Amino acid sequence: MASPAAVNCSGAARRILLLPTTTTQPATRSFPGRLSAVTSRPITTLPSTPRTKSKSTPKTQPPTTPPPQPLQTRRTYHSTTHPPPPSPFTQAETTLLTSALTSHIPTHGFTLPSLTLAARDLSLLDISPSFLGPSPVARLIHFHLYTTRTTLPSLASQHSDLLSGLSVSGKIELLTWLRLKQNEPIIQHWQQALAVMAQPSQVPVAVRELAMLADEIYYLAGDKSVDPSWYTKRAALSGIYAAAELFMTTDKSEGFQETRRFLRRRLQEAEELGGAVRSVGEWVGFTASAGVNVLRSKGVRI
Amino acid sequence: MAAAARPALKRALPSLRSSTFLPRQQQPQCHHHVPTSRRSLSTTPSHRNDTQPTTPSDEETHFGFSTVTTSQKRALVASVFTSVADSYDKMNDLMSFGWHRIWKDHFVSTLNPGFSPLSSTSPTSPQHILDIAGGTGDIAFRLLHHAHTVNSNPNVKVTISDINRAMLSVGKSRSAALPASQQAALSFVEANAEDLRKTRPLTPILSQTEQTFFDPATATSGLEDDSVDLYTVAFGIRNFSDIPAALAEAYRVLKPGGVFACLEFSKADKHPLFNSVYKEWSFRAIPLIGQLVAGDRDSYQYLVESIERFPRQEEFRDLIKGAGFRVSGDGGWEDLTGGVAAIHRGMKPRE
Ligand SMILES: C[S@@+](CC[C@H](N)C(=O)[O-])C[C@H]1O[C@@H](n2cnc3c(N)ncnc32)[C@H](O)[C@@H]1O
Repeated sequence: MASPAAVNCSGAARRILLLPTTTTQPATRSFPGRLSAVTSRPITTLPSTPRTKSKSTPKTQPPTTPPPQPLQTRRTYHSTTHPPPPSPFTQAETTLLTSALTSHIPTHGFTLPSLTLAARDLSLLDISPSFLGPSPVARLIHFHLYTTRTTLPSLASQHSDLLSGLSVSGKIELLTWLRLKQNEPIIQHWQQALAVMAQPSQVPVAVRELAMLADEIYYLAGDKSVDPSWYTKRAALSGIYAAAELFMTTDKSEGFQETRRFLRRRLQEAEELGGAVRSVGEWVGFTASAGVNVLRSKGVRI
Repeated sequence: MAAAARPALKRALPSLRSSTFLPRQQQPQCHHHVPTSRRSLSTTPSHRNDTQPTTPSDEETHFGFSTVTTSQKRALVASVFTSVADSYDKMNDLMSFGWHRIWKDHFVSTLNPGFSPLSSTSPTSPQHILDIAGGTGDIAFRLLHHAHTVNSNPNVKVTISDINRAMLSVGKSRSAALPASQQAALSFVEANAEDLRKTRPLTPILSQTEQTFFDPATATSGLEDDSVDLYTVAFGIRNFSDIPAALAEAYRVLKPGGVFACLEFSKADKHPLFNSVYKEWSFRAIPLIGQLVAGDRDSYQYLVESIERFPRQEEFRDLIKGAGFRVSGDGGWEDLTGGVAAIHRGMKPRE
């Protein structure tokens, strides 16, 4: 199923385009999802004020599940009109995976023993984790990716003072850094986890999560541009994040300052080389602008 | 080649028509009703004229005249069933393009029976695996090997259960090739998956005319509630007449935290082109091959149709959820080879 070619950045960007759209305008309905996904953002979503909802996220969670608990978090595709997409994890999975993540991963890493010990904590059986599917460990890693991404908004609002004074690119840098710091408790196990997610069967999940993370960061940074660079910016950020994340697994510096410097350097380069980066994704941009023009001709205000 | 193969397979695969008027218990129970459509077949040595129908009656379940010793008889019976089991394999090969062995390996290794964290301080409790419709032991032997050898955990026992003693008898004789420690961890139980409260240990078949289907009236025991860690069923559930009843029984016998796992032929219609080729293959080619090789189109037709009738992945997942099992948000199933087969997994929750 998985094509290794899908790992590259434009693959990541393309995946975003295939995600459900937020469009409510009938005019856009007849277009392929990839077009409406692009154009729908400014129509329905970009908040003129910083989002205030993220803090309320924990209140909507079921009381029985322990924090940090990302189930039922808000929208992923930045729609204010559609309900958030359902969690890709059922309640039974969330309970088991959360227990593994909080109690056993720091010691045992992203491994089957972590899951088995979590099952025992919950008075389940050694065999129980096998209900998670063909690769319970990959499911556990996916759960970490999902929870860290969906808790980013509340992390951002905790740092709203810092963020509000920054430019868009400053915000992107800080938000990316906040996400990287979420790997701190599990950093000595993360390289192994990345290896698991690089297996062909797991690549689609990993790429999709990465793309959604880049999208989340741009959303939280309040980036309003809807031009061909929409894709390339996200693709570039995906690539930079992935590189920084890997860099961090070998970073022994105090407070991972080397990783932060690495991140800054890469973001700066991307900005300076913006034109070059754009040409990499030129065909995407071309297709997108063609789509935007079609939509404009249909009366969509873009 | 076709001519040579014909007599053996003809015996193994009697015409579906002959089974049409039998009571439900006598109906085809596997995707190809092999040893079941004619009760006499299952106990008929190869030299016997198998076209002569025998009426099931109570007397026939008694041990009749016996001119050979019990062990000789058993060996004779087993050899007949081995050829039947071979024909099962052939059919599975045709339907799965030979992949069913790989699917079975995958099924077992992803369930990972007997796994126990090394660092654990608490002792591992023994694991009890129940392989339903276990037939000739293909799945059970793999489970046992994985637990005992791959996971070095001898604290795992496996119960093979089937409604058909003939199939179980083949499994039993095949198990003689296993290491003694594995044989000691195996038990064979006759039961209908739809009612596991009524079971009996595998009773050797001693007479040619014996009923090979488990009769619940002869039950001597039953499977207790909350007694099983892992319930497996491979290429069996499609043949059950009451699938919800079987799922309810699976739920009952599993311990809280226990896992239900099913490997079954499924729908490959996510890939339209592949699906149309596969449909063409199964509906046209397979019955034709059945006719040419086995001189028996109907049995192969039954195989194909039973697969077609089986619910699609989503529907079957919902039946599993309906029985009370918790499934993964990842769909709750895993397609194999584009959906030609699928694995469904569920966990019985601790309420
Ligand atoms: C195709 S065989 C599968 C054997 C084995 N599990 C495998 O994968 O090779 C199907 C088996 O299901 C058994 N079976 C059919 N109906 C059953 C029922 N109601 N209860 C228990 N077993 C049943 C048949 O006797 C047969 O042995």
